[in-house]
Amino acid sequence: MKLVRDVLDKELLDREEEPMGRVDGLVMHVGKNSQPRVTHIDIGGTVLWERAHPFFGRLSRRLARQWGPRRNEQVRIPWSRVESVGRDIKLDVEAKGTGAIDWEIWIARHIIEHIPGSGHKEAGDGH
Amino acid sequence: MNRVLGIGHNVNQVSVKRLLVISVALVAACKFPTPAEQMDSLQSWLATAGMVGDAWLRHTTPDKYSRQTLELSHETLLQLSSDLLRSPPHSVDSATLDDVLTRSREHVARMARLIEAKDAPDFARQLDSLRVDEKVVKRLSDRIRSTP
Amino acid sequence: MKKMLYITLGIITSVGGFLEIGSVTTAAQGGAAFGYQLLWAILLGTICLIFLVEMSGRLSAVSKHTIVEATRERFGFPFFFIVLVGMVLISFLVLVAELGGIGLSLQILTGIGFPWWAIPVSFVVWLLMWKGTFTLIENGASLLGLVTLSFVVAAVRLHPDWGNTAHGLLPSFPGDQKARYWFLAVSILGASISPYLMYFYSSGVIEDDWDESYIPINRFISTFGMSLGGFLSMAVLVVAALVFQPKGINIEKFEQASLLMTTALPKWGFFLFAMSMLFACLGAALEISLAIAYFFAQGFGWNWSEDLAPSRDARFSFTYTIIIMFAAVPLLFGVDPIRVTIMSMALTSATLPLAIVPFLFLMNDPIYLGEHRNGWVSNTVVAIIVLISFVLAVISIPLEIIGG
Repeated sequence: MKLVRDVLDKELLDREEEPMGRVDGLVMHVGKNSQPRVTHIDIGGTVLWERAHPFFGRLSRRLARQWGPRRNEQVRIPWSRVESVGRDIKLDVEAKGTGAIDWEIWIARHIIEHIPGSGHKEAGDGH
Repeated sequence: MNRVLGIGHNVNQVSVKRLLVISVALVAACKFPTPAEQMDSLQSWLATAGMVGDAWLRHTTPDKYSRQTLELSHETLLQLSSDLLRSPPHSVDSATLDDVLTRSREHVARMARLIEAKDAPDFARQLDSLRVDEKVVKRLSDRIRSTP
Repeated sequence: MKKMLYITLGIITSVGGFLEIGSVTTAAQGGAAFGYQLLWAILLGTICLIFLVEMSGRLSAVSKHTIVEATRERFGFPFFFIVLVGMVLISFLVLVAELGGIGLSLQILTGIGFPWWAIPVSFVVWLLMWKGTFTLIENGASLLGLVTLSFVVAAVRLHPDWGNTAHGLLPSFPGDQKARYWFLAVSILGASISPYLMYFYSSGVIEDDWDESYIPINRFISTFGMSLGGFLSMAVLVVAALVFQPKGINIEKFEQASLLMTTALPKWGFFLFAMSMLFACLGAALEISLAIAYFFAQGFGWNWSEDLAPSRDARFSFTYTIIIMFAAVPLLFGVDPIRVTIMSMALTSATLPLAIVPFLFLMNDPIYLGEHRNGWVSNTVVAIIVLISFVLAVISIPLEIIGG
């Protein structure tokens, strides 16, 4: 599997086939006597902005320290949770629990659902 | 070595300065429209006022729009006239130019007021006068164009 | 039978959705200033657009990726980010112009200045996005946009010399006012070849769940729909050439353009112009808002679909809400939408390579398109036209700025 071609920047779907972002970064373990292998998938956060330019990485770190639903914590999914790699990457996780859609939930709850006609139901979550 | 560098440095400074001067001169020279172009703009707005006038008389445009567009034409003509007369072209008598431009502006202003009064006959008379002024402006414009 | 309906609807929406403030303003200015001479620019732009729209549809139908998704995945985030910034900035300017166009239409109808309309207009656009579905937006606005067919009626009624108009379809060099001529040509090209159309169309293909079997339909719709749309633009230019050029009127303000059809259609011409601009700009404003929101959502992997309730795709809905709000601001301060239009059309031409070059790479990638990759004709036509637009833009924009 070619990591850059087949994994990086691909869309991630959770157990219920709901989108939970993209593969914005990969964590690899390089051992002394073993092949380098992918251990984690990084979603969003500083990792993503660092790829655009170190300046954005620094800016993102500074902003993440001040506010946001996940202060300063990078969303990291173990590679073992990957079910399949194809058009998208399917993960054996529930999106909500990973923190990957914290911003989605926060914006839904604090902004969107306060506007009439947003289709928000009282029972069940906003996602 | 230093002397060589010193000379090289001076040459570079002179070249950059020269380039800057040329650029500024170019931009300054190109920034303002020529008298011919200014006359074109004036003619364009006089014609606009005329076309709106025609349209209103034939009941093809509503009152509010017609009046507001005539007022817009008047404003624009005022601005264009003052720009032109600040440095009037040499090939025409600036008093004549000022005269016809002021007259045409007055016609446009009166036309706008006559729409409010819904006075079509008076309006038509002003429009005819405006057409005459347009022809004068066109003649002056041609003279400016033909003179290098 | 269903596919026949699709074709008919597709063509109708292409025609009804083709004109917007950019194409009308640039065509009117072109006709007023240079008669039929700039018809070739509309022709060239339309041909390029036909190819681009067909390619957008083909990419999404076959690969099940939108252009944005494929760009991010194929080129990686750093490059994608550059395209995102460029495209969003330009599209935002065009959105300001379209909202302004709606405001100006209401201004000439009511006498109330367009800055007063900035907030109500933005609210209505936002509301249609908030409550509407993709189908409603795509079809509704475009069906209303069919009123723009009145431009063709006006052109025919003025009895143009069809021989001379045909002549205008061939590129020619201007006598004088060269800088202005090429700048207008560039603006016309930028108005025809709008990248936001590609992103919108490709997202629509995914929203409508097309697959490979739709490729022939896609080709038909893009060819006929866009051709007829281009024909509408040409009609505007022809009318302007016959009505404004003989009088020496240069179109600088919307109020002047509003007189376009009063000669050919005395009774209804003024209102038809106002209604045409109103609906055309409304449709465009909706499409652009969606296109920008799609760019963010698809690029970052958010939930997105115009058919979902806003609370189900919160970041997507939030994005278009913010975009529309910001777009109203310049209009509140009285920034002239016509000025914004001309500037954004020219800038579109200058930044076309940013959108089109990665797109051409994708269209030739077997991973995404398999056997449906581009042939040499598509590649060549698009590459040449985009190159022409870019070169002309780079030369003429500074000249126009210098020339005031």
